[in-house]
Amino acid sequence: MARINDVGGTQGFGAIDTSDDTEPFHADWEARVVGLFNTLRGQGVFNTNEFRDAIESMPPAEYLAASYYERWFTAIRVLLERKGVIEPGELDD
Amino acid sequence: MSGDHTDATIARRVRRLETLLEEKGLVTGEKVDEVIDAFLAESSPANGARVVARAWTDEAFKSRLLRDGTAAVRELGYMDGSYQRLRVVENTATTHNVIVCTLCSCYPLRLLGPSPSWYKSEAYRSRVVREPRAVLAEFGVELPPGTQVTVWDSSAESRYMVLPRRPEGTAGMSEEELAGLVTRNALIGTAVV
Amino acid sequence: MTDRFPPGTRVRTFHHDPPHHTRLPRYARGKRGVVVEPEGPDELPDISARGSGDAPVEQIYAVRFEARDLWGEGDHHVVLDLWESYLEEDLAEDSEDDLAEDLEDDLADDLGGTADER
Repeated sequence: MARINDVGGTQGFGAIDTSDDTEPFHADWEARVVGLFNTLRGQGVFNTNEFRDAIESMPPAEYLAASYYERWFTAIRVLLERKGVIEPGELDD
Repeated sequence: MSGDHTDATIARRVRRLETLLEEKGLVTGEKVDEVIDAFLAESSPANGARVVARAWTDEAFKSRLLRDGTAAVRELGYMDGSYQRLRVVENTATTHNVIVCTLCSCYPLRLLGPSPSWYKSEAYRSRVVREPRAVLAEFGVELPPGTQVTVWDSSAESRYMVLPRRPEGTAGMSEEELAGLVTRNALIGTAVV
Repeated sequence: MTDRFPPGTRVRTFHHDPPHHTRLPRYARGKRGVVVEPEGPDELPDISARGSGDAPVEQIYAVRFEARDLWGEGDHHVVLDLWESYLEEDLAEDSEDDLAEDLEDDLADDLGGTADER
């Protein structure tokens, strides 16, 4: 039962968009997510492997539809909910 | 791709998360700013390019770099305090190296800067381990037949960087001029210099 | 700490399918490779991902695979960084010899004597 992140050798993802984007972030919220990730990890709220595990455990369709930093945000939310730091649904509109 | 609507929604949620965490005393806005600034300040492809230019002009440095990448780049002030190991892999007349992380997006951030979107894409991650020559051709890299291609799939805490071949006709160039020739993709292995 | 698998050791990756985080990608499970070099020890991510802080520390090895062994074709190499738990020494030649010997013994038993006595 390999997870959806384990894509080495999987067919069907098509051609690579080789355009060389040089901007580190495409929106300000992406930078905030990276900042929050590094801060929380630095404080020992979660470790990097727990974070990876949370990304990989996303439902496959959701994982594939999400942008790179959307996955990061999802993982942070899931871990904080699991650890009781925030309530489930607390970030929803 | 995220539309504007999705982007606005997630931007709002990220703000809400940051506010909640501030209320709980886990983060401060200033601390997050600092972390982002440090992330961007320490990480640039200019760092990797400088390492390559030094290796091209200093044989002793090059052999140290290939033997223990982490220690060698620390001589130049890079990767201080990093728990990761740097492994530099050298392209030669008969070998070509290319880097990937099929499971996520591991990348030598400090020496190459934040990674390009294609490096994190499923298309690149799925294909380069299976058909590297076809992938390299999409990047415009045509290797001579018989070139041994090695794909380094960073599945642990080693970070890989390619030492590209020094181009012909650069004998008179300074280290700084040489560094200017080295692109980010050349350090990943999806370009040659 | 002496490394269990020095450079050049022929290894085989485990062919298991864990229901948790792991760094042995499915394309390299149950495959034969050769150790390039040890990389230094680190916590086993399969356990560390639980967040309980009791992950064992193991040596990690860069292991080189032939494309043909991974995909049935191709002339490139793939190198993966693998924790010691993911690997066992590849004694394939020996075990094939053992298998041949076993078959010979079985045959001898069937014939009511050892192969040497015939």
